[in-house]
Amino acid sequence: MAKITLDIFRFDEATDAVPHRDAVVVDVPETTTVLDALETAKAEIDGSISFRRSCRSAICGSCSMNINGITGLACKTPCNTVMDEKGVVVVDPMPNFQPMKDLVVHMDPFWDKYSRLKPYLQPADADSTHERERRVSPEDMKKLVDVANCIMCATCYALCPVVSVDPAFAGPAAIAYAYRFIEDVRDGQRKERIAQISEDYLWLCAHCYACSYCPKHVDPHDRIIDVKRASIKDRVLMNERGPRHALVVSKTIKQTGMLAETEVIQGTIGRFNVRGLLKVAPLGLRMAAKGKMPPPFVKPIPKVDEVRTIFEALEVPVS
Amino acid sequence: MSTTLLPEDLPLDAHTRTRSAQTKRYGFFPGCVAKESCKELFNSTMLLADKLGIELIELTAASCCGASVVNDVNRDVARVLNARTYAQAEALGLDDVITICSTCTGHMRAANKELRESEARMDHANAILGKFGAKYQGTVTVRHLLWLLIDDIGLDNLRSMVVHPLNGLKVAPFYGCHIIRPESVNGWESARNPHSLEDVIEAIGGEAVDYAGKTRCCGFHIQLEKDNVATDMVGQNMRMAKERGAEAVITPCPLCHLALDGYQADSAARWGRTDLPTFHLPQLVAFALGVPPDKLGLNKHLIDPRDVLVDRDLIA
Ligand code: SF4
Ligand code: SF4
Ligand code: SF4
Ligand code: SF4
Ligand code: FES
Repeated sequence: MAKITLDIFRFDEATDAVPHRDAVVVDVPETTTVLDALETAKAEIDGSISFRRSCRSAICGSCSMNINGITGLACKTPCNTVMDEKGVVVVDPMPNFQPMKDLVVHMDPFWDKYSRLKPYLQPADADSTHERERRVSPEDMKKLVDVANCIMCATCYALCPVVSVDPAFAGPAAIAYAYRFIEDVRDGQRKERIAQISEDYLWLCAHCYACSYCPKHVDPHDRIIDVKRASIKDRVLMNERGPRHALVVSKTIKQTGMLAETEVIQGTIGRFNVRGLLKVAPLGLRMAAKGKMPPPFVKPIPKVDEVRTIFEALEVPVS
Repeated sequence: MSTTLLPEDLPLDAHTRTRSAQTKRYGFFPGCVAKESCKELFNSTMLLADKLGIELIELTAASCCGASVVNDVNRDVARVLNARTYAQAEALGLDDVITICSTCTGHMRAANKELRESEARMDHANAILGKFGAKYQGTVTVRHLLWLLIDDIGLDNLRSMVVHPLNGLKVAPFYGCHIIRPESVNGWESARNPHSLEDVIEAIGGEAVDYAGKTRCCGFHIQLEKDNVATDMVGQNMRMAKERGAEAVITPCPLCHLALDGYQADSAARWGRTDLPTFHLPQLVAFALGVPPDKLGLNKHLIDPRDVLVDRDLIA
C-alpha cells in the first residue's frame, strides 16, 4: 500500500465563481488506477468529488481527464506511472472544454461536431428497394476497423492545439469518424460528406500528431490525411486554400525538386486574390526589410528529371 | 553483462555508432527552408560543424522531403522521394544523414521506417529508382543535429568546448512537433517529456525554462489556411514561455522559427507582447563555441536577438 495524494481541481459552475484545489490522501496500492484512487477518495473521504466513469476498463470513454499535465483515460493510467517522488497525482478536467463540476466537463461542442456528420449510414438506395443484405468484403472492412475502435473519449480533442484556439475546427475524432463513412462502400453520400467535413475545416489540421496519444490507437491524424486525399481524388471544393496549397507544393517539388516558398504562398492564396495577398504582405515586408525573403524563383536541383520521373510513375496530382 | 573484452580506448557506445559517424563524416540534408528564407541557419550550421570538428557533406542533389504536405495528395510520393535521397547518400558511402529541421526529421524518418519495415515497399520504391539507375539498400539512419550533439559529441565534451557561456540566459526550448511525435517514428526521447534541448541549453551555460508550450505546435503548416489560427498558436505558446521568465527561445526547426519569429508581432493584440527572439539551435551553440556573432545572421531575424545578448553582457 502507498499513500497517494490526489491534488484535485474543484469547481461547481452552479455555485463557484472561481475554482479551487483540494488535496486528498488515499491509502491504496501504487498500481491502482487514477480512477480507482478517485473512487476511493469519493467513497471514503469526500462524497462530493465529481467525475465521469462507467466501464473502468477503457471501453466507455467517460473518464478522460488531465493527469499530471497529460490527458488520458483515468481508468487506464496506474498511479505509479504518473505520480511524482512525493506520491502526488494532479488531476484536472480535460483542456479545451468548459468545466461543469470538478472533473466533469461540458461535452456539447464535441458531440455537436459528430451530429454534423450525420453519423449513420446513408446508402444510395432505400433498404426497402434493396433486395439483399449489403455485403462488405474483408478488405473493405479492414479500412474501417481501427476507426470503429474509437470510444469517443475526446482525449484527442482535448489535446488538439487547433481546437484550443479555434473551436470551429471539427477536431481529430470527428474527422476520423467522417472517414469511417466516406470509405464505407455501403454509403451513398461520399462527396457530400467530404464537403461537409471540409467546411468544418478539415484542412486546418496542423499536422502536429498530438492526437497520436489516442488510447485506442485510432490514429486520427492518419485518417485526416486519408480524407484529404479522398477530397483531392474526388475533386471536392478544389478552390479552397487547403487543396490548393497541397497541390501547389506538389507542383513546385515536381518542377524544381524543392518546395518553392514564394510560389507556394501565391498559389495557396491565389495570385489574383489581392485582399488575401495584402493580408500576408505586412509579414512579407517585415521579412524583406531584414533580407529574409525567399527567392522569387527556385533553381531546380541537379537531376530534377529523376524527381519528375517519380511524380509521373506515381501519377501524383499537381493541379 | 557482455563478456567480450573491448579495447580500453574504445568508447562504450562505439558499437552502436554507424560507419560514417565513426569517421565524423556525415551526409547532410539541409532542407528547403535553410536554403531559401532561413539561409542564416544553413550558414551557422556549417560554422558550428567546423567548431565541432565534423564534416557535413551536403546531399546537393537531394529533393525536398515532402514537408508533410505531399502526403495530402499521394500516399507514396514522399517515401519514394526520400528513398532517392538515401540512395544518393549510400552512393557517397554515407549511412548517417543529418537534418537541421524538425519537420524533415520526422518525415524522413517516417519514410525510412516504411521502407525498411516492408520489402514490398522497398521493392516498389526501387522499381521507380531503377528507371534512372539508382537503388536504395536500406542502410541509412536519419538523425537531427540535436541528437548528433548529444550522441556523437557528448554533453560533457560540448561543455568543455564552450568559450562564451550564456551567463544563465533564460532560454525556452521549442521542439517542433515532428522531432518528437509520433514516438513510433522518432522515439529518440520521450515525446511528452523531452529534455535534449534543455540539456544542450545547460551545457552551453544557459538556463532552460520549463513551460507547457515546449512540445506544442506553432501552427506553421496552417498559416495560410485560415487567418489568425497560427498566430494564436504562436501567441499562446510564447505567452506561456514569457510567463515562466524566458528571455529567448531556441528551436531545432526553421519552420517553427519562421512562425515564432514572424507572428509574435501579430499575436500581441490577443496574447500581449512577448517579443521573444527565436534562435536556431546551431546559432546559439555556435555562438557559445566562439563563432563571431556577426557571422550568424542574427540581423536577419524579425525580433532582433542581439538585444538580449547585449543585456546579458554577451556581446557589446
Ligand atoms: S479517436 Fe481516440 S482519443 Fe479520440 S475520441 Fe476516439 S478513442 Fe478517444
Ligand atoms: S494532428 Fe491535427 S487533428 Fe491531430 S491534434 Fe494535431 S492539429 Fe489536431
Ligand atoms: S521540412 Fe520542409 S521545406 Fe523542408 S525539406 Fe523538409 S519539406 Fe522541404
Ligand atoms: S511546431 Fe509546427 S512547424 Fe514546427 S514541426 Fe511542429 S507542426 Fe511543424
Ligand atoms: S471508465 Fe470507461 S473508459 Fe475509463
